[in-house]
Amino acid sequence: MKRVEFTLNGKAVACDVEENELFLHTLRERLSITSVKEGCGIGECGTCTILIDNEPRYACLTLAAKVEGRDVKTVEWLGNADTLHPLQRAFISRGAVQCGFCTPAMLLVAYSLLLKNPHPTCEEIKEALSGNLCRCTGYVQIIEAIESASGKGD
Amino acid sequence: MLSSLPAAAIVAGGTDLVVRMRNGERHSYLIDVAGLSEIAGITPEEGGRLRIGAAATHGQIAADGTVRKACAGLALACSQVGSPQIRNMGTLGGNLVNASPAADSLAPLLVHNAMLALEATGGARTESLERFITGPYRTTIGKTELLCSVSVDRLEGYEEGYRRVAKRAAWAISRLSCAWALREEGGLIEDVRIAVGSCTPVPFRPSRAEDFLRGRRREGPVIAKAVEMVADEIREKSGLRPSFAYKLPVVRDLLAEELGGRSCS
Repeated sequence: MKRVEFTLNGKAVACDVEENELFLHTLRERLSITSVKEGCGIGECGTCTILIDNEPRYACLTLAAKVEGRDVKTVEWLGNADTLHPLQRAFISRGAVQCGFCTPAMLLVAYSLLLKNPHPTCEEIKEALSGNLCRCTGYVQIIEAIESASGKGD
Repeated sequence: MLSSLPAAAIVAGGTDLVVRMRNGERHSYLIDVAGLSEIAGITPEEGGRLRIGAAATHGQIAADGTVRKACAGLALACSQVGSPQIRNMGTLGGNLVNASPAADSLAPLLVHNAMLALEATGGARTESLERFITGPYRTTIGKTELLCSVSVDRLEGYEEGYRRVAKRAAWAISRLSCAWALREEGGLIEDVRIAVGSCTPVPFRPSRAEDFLRGRRREGPVIAKAVEMVADEIREKSGLRPSFAYKLPVVRDLLAEELGGRSCS
């Protein structure tokens, strides 16, 4: 086992992990962050997306030892049932959530995009979402939700 | 460290290695080089070349102002690798050491006469990209060597491009790709460099077509002749393959469109 220390959603975390453990499993099984999903497991579907230093990455291809000292964010960073983030409210009001499996990752990608580019074009939104699949194919609603939230986020 | 640990592997972005490990590949030790400042960053070199650290990610290269000006084809190719997440993780060094014949960075790096700097405890060496890659997923790298950086020609004042064909725009492997750089002087092609990727076992520069184009006008019949020469060189390298019924016409059209520029289209 090896101890890794990092920031998770604004809080300092220390966690013992196996040497070859995937960070996806650390989050889900050791830290109970089950909003990070295991879809394809080989970096193609995007459902395991997390933000490391505010940039989207695939947790399924990230070794746990690599997050030492880094800032990690999951969808829990954005808001909770009582205080939703403007992006979360927009996803609900625009019908951008169907089965919900891809939603946490979609929200994180959108959040990261708006941090860098508060008023993205439709093309820029599509480009940012190009590493995330929605098997319900609700892309139009997802793009509209991000457009409507842009400029209103924090 | 690499020479003292048995069965050690180097990991940077992990986008290839972790997938292979999930499929059963075993390593006793992993050495993470992603945070090594010595092999990071993009810096000008003496002699007008640009040094790209092996740990630079595709995203960093695609966004770098100097690369976009002096190696525009490489910036374009890196911006089309995988997905945004993969581009934030995968590194140029990893792409080269993995040596997939479909790697997007290879063709533009050939256009920029890329030279690789490798180091081991026993000493350092440099090698051209053309010699480094010996076949699909095969390179000359030794078990205890680390790829540190890639040095490329700055082609300011050149027109450059990169085009790829894949099954879909995002998150797909290139089925074929072309990179090129061209400079005109007094109405004639002063220098031209072309590289074709994903078509032959190793991406290559069709030197006969390049030689033919130098000193000629950039006009329809000249480009058409050069494009035929490229197709001949692909056939010589690969022999006849079933996929060529599709690939060769596409390479011809892509190159004719790209090299023809506005004057021929």
